[in-house]
Amino acid sequence: MKKLLAFLMTLALLAGMAVLPASAEENVYTALYSSEVSTLNYLTSSTTWDYTPGANVVDTLIEYNNIGEIIPGLAETWEVSEDQLTWTFHLRQGQKWYDYTGAEVGEVTANDFVAAAKYVLTPEYDSSLEYMFEEANILNAAAYYAGEVTDFAEVGVKAVDDYTLQYIVDKPTPYLLSCMTYGSFMPAYGPQLEELGADFATACEKMYCCGAFILTEFEPQVKHVFVKNVNNWDAENVHIDRIEQIYNAEAATLAPTMALRGEVDYADLSNDIIDDWKANNPDIISRGRAIPDFSYFFCFNFDPQYEAEYGPDNWRIAVNNSNFRHSIMSAFDRTYSMRALEPDDPESILQNTITPATFCAADGVDFSELAPFEGTEENFFNAEKALEYKAKAMEELTAAGCTFPVTILLTYKSGDTDWENESILFKQQLEGVLGTDYINVELYAGPSESFLSATRRAGVYSMMRCNWGADYADPLTWASPFAESIDSETGLHEGNSYNKMDVSLDGDAYPETKDILTAYYATVEEAKNITDDTTARYTKFAEAEAMLINNAMVIPYNIEAASYQVTKLNIFEGQYSPCGVSNLRYKYQTLHEDFISAEEYEAAYQEWLTAMGK
Amino acid sequence: MALLKHPKVEALENSLSAQLKRDLSEKELFSFAPFDEEEAELTGASNYSYWRSTLHAFSKNRVAMFLLALMLIIVLFTFIQPLLPGQYDAFVVTNGDNGLPLKNKQPSAEHWLGTNSIGQDLWARLWSGTRTSLFIGLACAMIEACVGILMGVLWGYVRKLDFLFTEIYNVLDNIPSTIILILISFILKPGVGTIIFAMSLTGWIGMARFIRNQILIIRDRDYNVASRCLGTSTWRIIVKNLLPYLVSVIMLRMALSIPGAIGSEVFITYIGLGLPATVPSLGNLINEGRKLMMSPSLRYQLIYPTIILSIVTISFYMIGNAFSDAADPKSHV
Amino acid sequence: MARYLGRRFLRSFITLFIILSIVFILVRQMPIDGYFPNIEKMTDAQIQNGLHQMGLDQPILVQLYNFFKELILHGNLGTSWVYRDNVPVAEILAPKIPVSIKLGSLSLLFAMLIGLPMGTFMAKYKGKFFDNLGAAFIVLIQAVPSAVYYLFIQLYGTEWLHISMLFDPDKAISWVLPVFSMSLGNIAYYAMWLRRYMVDESKKDYVTLARIKGVSENKIFFRHVFRNAFVPMAQYLPTSFLNTVIGSIYIESLYSIPGMGGLLVDVVKKQDNNMVLGIVLLYATVGIIGLLLGDLMMALMDPRINLVKKGGER
Repeated sequence: MKKLLAFLMTLALLAGMAVLPASAEENVYTALYSSEVSTLNYLTSSTTWDYTPGANVVDTLIEYNNIGEIIPGLAETWEVSEDQLTWTFHLRQGQKWYDYTGAEVGEVTANDFVAAAKYVLTPEYDSSLEYMFEEANILNAAAYYAGEVTDFAEVGVKAVDDYTLQYIVDKPTPYLLSCMTYGSFMPAYGPQLEELGADFATACEKMYCCGAFILTEFEPQVKHVFVKNVNNWDAENVHIDRIEQIYNAEAATLAPTMALRGEVDYADLSNDIIDDWKANNPDIISRGRAIPDFSYFFCFNFDPQYEAEYGPDNWRIAVNNSNFRHSIMSAFDRTYSMRALEPDDPESILQNTITPATFCAADGVDFSELAPFEGTEENFFNAEKALEYKAKAMEELTAAGCTFPVTILLTYKSGDTDWENESILFKQQLEGVLGTDYINVELYAGPSESFLSATRRAGVYSMMRCNWGADYADPLTWASPFAESIDSETGLHEGNSYNKMDVSLDGDAYPETKDILTAYYATVEEAKNITDDTTARYTKFAEAEAMLINNAMVIPYNIEAASYQVTKLNIFEGQYSPCGVSNLRYKYQTLHEDFISAEEYEAAYQEWLTAMGK
Repeated sequence: MALLKHPKVEALENSLSAQLKRDLSEKELFSFAPFDEEEAELTGASNYSYWRSTLHAFSKNRVAMFLLALMLIIVLFTFIQPLLPGQYDAFVVTNGDNGLPLKNKQPSAEHWLGTNSIGQDLWARLWSGTRTSLFIGLACAMIEACVGILMGVLWGYVRKLDFLFTEIYNVLDNIPSTIILILISFILKPGVGTIIFAMSLTGWIGMARFIRNQILIIRDRDYNVASRCLGTSTWRIIVKNLLPYLVSVIMLRMALSIPGAIGSEVFITYIGLGLPATVPSLGNLINEGRKLMMSPSLRYQLIYPTIILSIVTISFYMIGNAFSDAADPKSHV
Repeated sequence: MARYLGRRFLRSFITLFIILSIVFILVRQMPIDGYFPNIEKMTDAQIQNGLHQMGLDQPILVQLYNFFKELILHGNLGTSWVYRDNVPVAEILAPKIPVSIKLGSLSLLFAMLIGLPMGTFMAKYKGKFFDNLGAAFIVLIQAVPSAVYYLFIQLYGTEWLHISMLFDPDKAISWVLPVFSMSLGNIAYYAMWLRRYMVDESKKDYVTLARIKGVSENKIFFRHVFRNAFVPMAQYLPTSFLNTVIGSIYIESLYSIPGMGGLLVDVVKKQDNNMVLGIVLLYATVGIIGLLLGDLMMALMDPRINLVKKGGER
């Protein structure tokens, strides 16, 4: 025992004396990550984290700069035909594929895009990105996937020659370019795909790189190492020589301390510890960018399917009453509950439209500021109005046979601390305004695994904070959660997977709701068919979306809060886009000696806002 | 306890007086009384009571008695605390003057143990959580003990069942409880009942194996072989020969399984399958605190629940040890 | 004995078969969206295709048959679906197992080296200072949740030793804290139970007899009491050693040690069925062998225990 202790002490002393080696190479960026990617295969996976390696090692046809403008990538130029059905891309010549050791393998040609598309559309490889080809309206893509078309030559992805690539769509698709930064439209070295099939990209030895970095090491749940690809066409814009991502399941707890000790160059600061950091290390706190690629909104469930003890039938009557919905919407102080997500400046992420602000613009006018949205702000928090609505709703609902208080089952995901806290604040605030004689908010913790199928899709909620992510840069993508869903056998509505409002279209039980929905769906259809005039198209979509807000069918809420962090990167230099993988790229970002100070951050932020024209 | 008559003495008195008081016909009075084995045994009973002696020995251990009292007080206090004047509700977020939540406030006169990261009173949450956790611990320990002892004794003693039970044990013990926990979380909604059910579903297996091995060690000792030879029934051997022998280890194990269950609740919360934060428990509080541990000024949120958990664990450990010492008949003389 | 062992082995295979079948059926009761991280955007046809690719659209008994056919005929555990898409399960597990075994055995060894003498001396000096000191240590370790003290050891330990917070396989010193943290619980466990059994044992009549006969106190204690008290502990030893393969979720998570700890929880949550079954097979095998060895060891150490004899019951 004594000997052992002595041994340990000696070891300790030795380690104490040894000077820790400073990182030998310059420009090494080290960060922790807490959950491993499930695959490197950027052609099949669809989760943001899985994209990260692919986004950094494979280039896309087009890219976004740091203020969200489309710039050339692997394609130097492109044009669209008169009829808007054929998109032609002219590829950059002399781009090469490299294996994980950095050895050159072959040239990047148009055929690599065709091979990748074929891979995505082959059911055997079970790609979860196939839907992007359907969203982009690529000719015969869905038919090939379904087996109705067997010759891939009939699909609208063609290599005219080695450096000319064509995408043919079956109807005008104004947003096609924005689809091109998705994994599904990335190239992959044809012969390798052919050879490996389902084994493609199961390890870093089994994929080739043509992007800003080369993935030289991939040890799952140990580390990822990216090394700058010096031969890349855009190498001068890559300022980091080496990226080391180290796995640690407790990264959320350990990373901040490790950053202070100088062991890592980046750490996320969760909302629980941010107060402490502000008190003790205020100089090195910076924030991420709030990106409008995900939008959060509160849904009212029109087809409740939960246990009788929470009164689903009572809720069904209440939710179909416009005054009731308005009373909730007016009583709901969104910035209060949002403090669980964004403690300091909830206004910065608050959204008054489902389509987030700065997502897209028509003729310089932001979508969220188009004419149809004028006056929608009247619907938001106003305690006095809420009580007026409450009085009217109580009268009408009592007549309709509704009993008070109405139970509102507020569903959230157990284990998600921020969401849990938000729900607690929501309940307290809403009941405070409307009174517990009127409503009773019940918090319902859904399971942490397979959460959506157990709750939202099963209809186990009265109100819930839902979210949707953009697939491409067009307002159509934000209408998807509300698209009608019709049972092919009965011909009846089975409830769109979000708020199930379309069930009120069947039968005549709720004429008021039915009218709103009929008008809404008609407007969306009209908007979809306007393909030649961006302003008209966007205005029509705005008109439809405004209907949902003005009738209190959906309550717009926020976009993902920009997390607090300590970092040595200036994130405002990074690529910025509301869809695709661009935001995940390290390209353009410079690595600083020290952590970005609060001042530097603020200056960079203001500069960026100015550049964005805000 | 001392006021109560020993049951054997009582039974003997009753049967005698019944015999005497009965109005029997002449014929019956002069017939042979049947031989009653049980009553014959009773006449030989001494005044020694195992349990009374055990309690007596236990009550001499001052530390254990103090901790027992402390536990009772804690349990009682978890119920009384919300009724005391000037207490905050464990679920209500306190708003400051600006109408915003008072979050992460250090312990003060207002909030005795400070507030958590959304502004709920930690003092109130601590007691609410202690109540929940103690309930979970007690419930699990009881279920574990009842099912475990029953199964363990049958498994260890009845050789015919050994094959079947070993097989069942091997199967159940090797189905990872994570799978069962997650499946249950799909079927039932997260809550106290669910967590007790999920933990008990597999919790008794360890106890059963423990008892079985103990039984196996003493099953074929000479006094048991002798008992069997004399024709004592299996049930009687189990209850009179085997279990009293094991009382001390069973008690220790049971006492430890209460904090054990609370501990596994901490673990279940750690892997993300615990109670929702709307139901405070020590597991919840510790895991919330754990995330803040690296920030010294917020560490109070971790320290207090850990202290309570430690007190509970120490108390049960000491009480269990003292009781198992007291339960040893050799210390009764 | 040989026949007994043969039968036990045969039975073990049947047990394994039952365990795998039950787990196989259990994991297939989980909701299907766990299989598709992107289910939100998928059409029904795509979901059906996905299920077909994973063979989940077949009747469950057919799936079960296929699974065992692959396993028994080719020793094939299938490939992972979610954890690491398309990589064979065995390939994922192979590098992880030795890491956990190494870490676990080291800590177990350390725990026995400290824990067993500690328990013995606590029993020998029952009620004295050393006993109380040991009891305080045991109580402290038992009382404070390991999730909490592991963190403190890591935070201050790494600072004190001037090493990285994360594990580095190339540096011997980075083993110190994980092994030390991991063994604390076991030290307390061994010391506590050994003390308990030894105290019980030393009250037995044969001890008194030995004393009367004039056997030296040390000889009584170490030759007889220790040996008898060690019997009930012995049954857990093989299992403990084999169980090191399971790894420690807390330690491995905190120090970034690429072992088995937490892997099962991870794959069950991700509904990676093949991975779950592979790990369950590994754990179950280890568990069953541990049980068998435990029984054998008990029988070897205590001749009164007879595993083979039949007809003892009434």
